[in-house]
Amino acid sequence: MRSRAFAATSALIAVGALLVGCSGGSESGSDDDASSGPVTLEYWAWGTAQAPMVEAWNEAHPDIQVKHTDAGGGSDSSAKLLTATRADNAPDVSVVEYQTLPAMIVGDVAADITEYVDDDLKSQFTDATWGLTTFNDAIYGVPQDVGPMAFIYNQARLDELGVPVPTTWAEFKTASAAVRAADPTTYLATFNTTEFGFFAGMAQQAGGEWWSVDGETWTVGIDDEASMEVADYWQDLIDNDLVKVEDLLTPQWNQEVNAGQVLSWPSALWAPGVIYGVAEGMAGQWAMAPLPQWTPGDSKVAYQGGSAVVVTTSSKHPKEAAEFAAWINSSDEGADIQLETGQYPASTLGQTKAETSDPPLLMPQQTDFWQLASEIAGNTIPNISWGPNVNVAQSAFQDAMAKAVKDGTPLSEALTATQEVVVEDMKTTGFDVSE
Amino acid sequence: MTTTTTTPTTTSTGSTRTPKKRTRSPIAPYVFVAPAVVLYIAFLLVPMLYSIYLSFRGMRLVSGGAFGKRKSVFIGFENYISALTDPEFIAGFGRLAIYGAIAIPLTLGLALLFALLLDLGATRAKRFSRTSIFIPYAVPGVVATLMWGFMYLPLTSPFSYITRELGWGTIPFLEDPWIFGSVANIAIWGGVGFNMIIIYTSLRGIPSELYDAARIDGANEWQIAMRVKVPLVTPALVLTGLFAVIGTLQVYGEPTTLRPMTSAISQTWVPLMTIYRDAFVRDDLPRAAASSVFLAVITVVLSVILLRLTQKRAFGGES
Repeated sequence: MRSRAFAATSALIAVGALLVGCSGGSESGSDDDASSGPVTLEYWAWGTAQAPMVEAWNEAHPDIQVKHTDAGGGSDSSAKLLTATRADNAPDVSVVEYQTLPAMIVGDVAADITEYVDDDLKSQFTDATWGLTTFNDAIYGVPQDVGPMAFIYNQARLDELGVPVPTTWAEFKTASAAVRAADPTTYLATFNTTEFGFFAGMAQQAGGEWWSVDGETWTVGIDDEASMEVADYWQDLIDNDLVKVEDLLTPQWNQEVNAGQVLSWPSALWAPGVIYGVAEGMAGQWAMAPLPQWTPGDSKVAYQGGSAVVVTTSSKHPKEAAEFAAWINSSDEGADIQLETGQYPASTLGQTKAETSDPPLLMPQQTDFWQLASEIAGNTIPNISWGPNVNVAQSAFQDAMAKAVKDGTPLSEALTATQEVVVEDMKTTGFDVSE
Repeated sequence: MTTTTTTPTTTSTGSTRTPKKRTRSPIAPYVFVAPAVVLYIAFLLVPMLYSIYLSFRGMRLVSGGAFGKRKSVFIGFENYISALTDPEFIAGFGRLAIYGAIAIPLTLGLALLFALLLDLGATRAKRFSRTSIFIPYAVPGVVATLMWGFMYLPLTSPFSYITRELGWGTIPFLEDPWIFGSVANIAIWGGVGFNMIIIYTSLRGIPSELYDAARIDGANEWQIAMRVKVPLVTPALVLTGLFAVIGTLQVYGEPTTLRPMTSAISQTWVPLMTIYRDAFVRDDLPRAAASSVFLAVITVVLSVILLRLTQKRAFGGES
């Protein structure tokens, strides 16, 4: 009898402990009050620049302490931000990619920080950059880094094959053919069906506008004339075997880059770091040039990648959070750390500073790298706007493109398919869309 | 399943034979089952009901405007309709069927073959063979897929290297329709060992008198295997078959890990990948919940059909 009673009691205690354990979890997330002691901010960001930036801020601002968490790269952390916001335990501040920022706004993650931003901060950025975080005159973030598009290429191999660096897309086609003729195992570039950002950037360069908003109404132009021309351009290259259809940064692709069988990567200013990561031995052989243009003599490029720092709607200290976002992205210290860790800063201060720093490890011989970079950055297309469902567009684009390549159907049809999915999704959600 | 097994236990312990001597507290049995019930409710029932609840909701604009806020509202069966009329989601089941048609028979066939071979008296190095067949099961799926991925990619594949040297060109492992075999191969490689152990354990449980009797009747090893062993391990075969069917419906890790290496695998290649995409790429958790409920229903239906079809044959002798 005693042992039975003992067992019953201990079972009860165990169940009780379990229940307490369950309920305890939900309370631990609460923040400390605004009144007591220094303010603590939670900050989600990825990349090597973040930890030293937070450290510098914490040292300079004892009253506002920031705790940094790496919640994963762009798409991972934005997915987590959406769910964390619904659970009301989102961080105070977070890094968000420009293209997902509209999704963060309609997902009620990013707060309107217009009231905390002064003209002084605004003057630190070019209009094109500042436009990336401003929607319908409301400011939703402070730009951190940008990725103006550029052309990086294997200079040594192109010289060897006697192929000049293309300055227009027409020349790019000629150069592709010349490379194929000079060495049949080699391609000037690969076309990859997953590179939504690249394709969007190239369409923007051609004058395409994938999303635009006029008052209350969205216009989606993923299959607009300019974008269709881009699709047809690549179609032509693929059909004539002038580029290879292959995914980027796979073991296969990396090996081809290392073997000098893939000679360029039209992408953005951050690309040298990526190539260096997979092909360290190529250092000194690669170089950077402006992205080819549609019209000879033009110099406009779009952005591919880059991110801003947003204050979340869950934050109990939006003013302090906005102050932190402004400081890391416009201060001297912030810019220095960004450059040291290989980010191309969004602020004009940072970009000016960049001109005197060393070229990337992949191209130590190109001493004018940063001057060239700053020239490119000065020619970015202003007023690029992304839509509220870029995530939907990106996944639809990738699948439609892969399918087109696999089945041998036109890439332009893939764009039409993407357009349909995006418009339907926006209509279902309840947006006012005109096609 | 837990509840069905606990119910008879509680009724038999609340013994009806000695009702007069019954002095124990009526609370005790409840206390004993409480941990299991609480865990069951907290981690199975509640999430399941929550998923069903979620599947009837949708993120919609509540305030108008180009940057209006999306909120969760009740939308009835809209998610189910959009999931079931999505040709890609349905096509995912078709691809699963092809995959299953390759993976299930091969996994079970090889597992049975190896188990029978190990059970043969004459087999040497039994423990070594058993371990080496089982080891792939211990390799995490993602690691196995990456390893096989390298063996499939044209430039790094040893198989393609050999065929190229022989002048036959590269083997298109990662292109349609080879991709089905390539993905299935990873699952077969990892799954045979586990299934073999189940069947082998069941084989060891057969009394040796049966073999003696068969031998006296003049049966050779082949006949013993086909007429005695296989019929007696049918319950184990049904069990492994059920696992294989459920495992097929839940294929996710291998194609997802292979996806960056090939354009033959889309983000909606199998149903679970579509569910993942809806939930975490498109931020449409309610639709993912609806698709999950549908997948769960399919799993239950298929399991019941499989058990019904095989029950008579497998367990008929016992009852």
